[in-house]
Amino acid sequence: MKVFVTGIGVISAVGLNARENLHSLRSLRTGIHKSAQYKVMTGEVPLNNEQLLQIHDLPDEDYSRTTLLALPAAKEAWGSNKNDSRIRTGLISSTSVGGMDRTEKYYFQSQVNKTSDNYSLMIHDNGRTTEKLAEELGISGHISTISTACSSGANSIMQGARLIEGNILDRVIAGGSEPLATFDIKGFNSLNIYDSEICKPFDEKRMGLNLGEGAAFVVLENEQSISITGNKPLCILCGWSNATDAFHQTASSPDGKGAYLAMKNALAKAGISPDKINYINAHGTGTGNNDLSESMALKNIFGEALPSFSSTKGFTGHTLAAAGAIEAVYCTLSLVSQATLPNLNFSNPMSETGMMPETQFRPAKIDYVLSNSFGFGGNCTCLIFYKY
Amino acid sequence: MVKKDIDASSVLLTPDYAEFIPAMERRRMSQVQKMSIACAMDCLHQSTIAQPDAIIVGTSMGCSINIKNFLDKILEANDGPLSPTSFIVSTHNTVAGQIALLMKNHGYNMTYTQNSLSFEQSLGDAMLCCAEGLKNVLVGGADEEEDSLYNMRERLKNDEVLLTSGASFFILSNIRPQGNAINLIDVGSFGLIKNTLETTLNFLKANNTTDLEIDMVLYAMSEKSKLNELTSFFGAERLFDYQTVTGTYYTNSAFAMNYAVDILSNRPHPIFGEVKTVLVYNNLIPENLGLILLRTKNE
Repeated sequence: MKVFVTGIGVISAVGLNARENLHSLRSLRTGIHKSAQYKVMTGEVPLNNEQLLQIHDLPDEDYSRTTLLALPAAKEAWGSNKNDSRIRTGLISSTSVGGMDRTEKYYFQSQVNKTSDNYSLMIHDNGRTTEKLAEELGISGHISTISTACSSGANSIMQGARLIEGNILDRVIAGGSEPLATFDIKGFNSLNIYDSEICKPFDEKRMGLNLGEGAAFVVLENEQSISITGNKPLCILCGWSNATDAFHQTASSPDGKGAYLAMKNALAKAGISPDKINYINAHGTGTGNNDLSESMALKNIFGEALPSFSSTKGFTGHTLAAAGAIEAVYCTLSLVSQATLPNLNFSNPMSETGMMPETQFRPAKIDYVLSNSFGFGGNCTCLIFYKY
Repeated sequence: MVKKDIDASSVLLTPDYAEFIPAMERRRMSQVQKMSIACAMDCLHQSTIAQPDAIIVGTSMGCSINIKNFLDKILEANDGPLSPTSFIVSTHNTVAGQIALLMKNHGYNMTYTQNSLSFEQSLGDAMLCCAEGLKNVLVGGADEEEDSLYNMRERLKNDEVLLTSGASFFILSNIRPQGNAINLIDVGSFGLIKNTLETTLNFLKANNTTDLEIDMVLYAMSEKSKLNELTSFFGAERLFDYQTVTGTYYTNSAFAMNYAVDILSNRPHPIFGEVKTVLVYNNLIPENLGLILLRTKNE
């Protein structure tokens, strides 16, 4: 059974919708800047919560930024889709920290003021952020949230595909959302992997990652659903796999075993050999450990015939649970525009591998695109998209 | 066996964690990590499986104590240097990841976090894994009690629930085993729905089961006013409120499934008699419904 991608929506530091994101990718424009609020380099969405509430005509209640960022992306992807009793429809979202932006605000306030205002953890409930989204889209029934750290967004899209292939659902809106939060910035800083400049994925002198925020969703449908909706496919999600590195809680293994297994099994699922892949959107966070480990895994899969590859983290920053979803949308844009996507800030190849990422938005014949997402807990996910 | 209802004086029953988790790792683990890993390991010890093909965990609040610890550290550090210890174990998939890490398991690894339906969604994924051809799946649900969760009661529309902790793990297999095993017929997860009873009947119908075939309904319902509907439909004698045994945490339907497996494995059951089919009816959050249908192997 084929799983068609018929809708995409994205909000990130380089654009409030898919068109703006594509424009930034074309024009090599980064969204990473010194944050006034967080005092470090971040990929911030240039709209505050009040503006997001206004755009969506929402009451000034305690919406976490996770929900507020998810809404525009989900609505863009959902487009003019309607609920239809003949189409079994589900919503799958992902987040790594739930409503952490609000949680930490309330928690810090209550600790400083010695009050016991603990409303915060109610908002922290990951599932609630997805339910709020479901309410806005009018979806009930299959409402699900996945949280596997930085691979969450890709896993959410993979689950959508599996539920369609397993004949459990006909149509799924799947993706992920992540706001910037002090919690994560301090966390990655404490691991000494936060770059004080703009990150340099796959570069010999890379110093770490920058966090970003955003959300992205895709609409996945089977043929039966398309025959009712009349939606035009943008591409086909044809391969997926999840595997575990089982090396360390946060660090990747030197040979990237989990990444290797995820790519190998996704290729097998798609039923294609590695040489069919025309472009790889790498996880490529810009940390010493990830980029080397991922490079070794890529070498082990593709050998000397490495296709064009890049990390788009230099545009958006690492958006954690949204990353896999944002990059799935970027892969769709790569297929639709028939172009490879650029890797920013690259100057010198890594001494261990000599691998050169694509640094231009370059027109090319693109049939298959592979996307990698890896997270804490050794969680590795690979998605493969095919042109329509 | 039920001895007495849970109350405020009840304590979490814990095994000697040293039997299940190496000392080095154990020292740094919070309660939800220890409970889950001990259950998972115990589950695998009971089976003959060296490595499961997939590990799936449902947890509503994940490692909330580790999250709180790191927030405290941020305040204490006051922009000074910070230890990453709590941060690296703060993600919801910490438990599933650590089980894999301890076992060197390279298989599929997933974590669901949909408040009161987190376990049902994990179980649904585990069934899908089996349908896709994986042979053995380790699946569980776990949540830990934490002070600031008391406002969960607002969501549950019930001020009296007793918040507790718990973990339950299972092996799902698509190979019919010898000896004790129970058929997991189906699992359903329904979010933001209005008519819970109609949804239940549709679920049973889809599984070619009539309500008369259900010998026992293990239920959780926070909004007590809705209980009449369930009682008038199934009859009070078939209902058992599993929260009188577990207390309340968002993944306590995993305990209910464990309890159902115990009842179905010991026939006739000393308290409940001859029970062949059990429905776990999780209506903990008033607008969310989880259903798990279990049957003895030979029926």
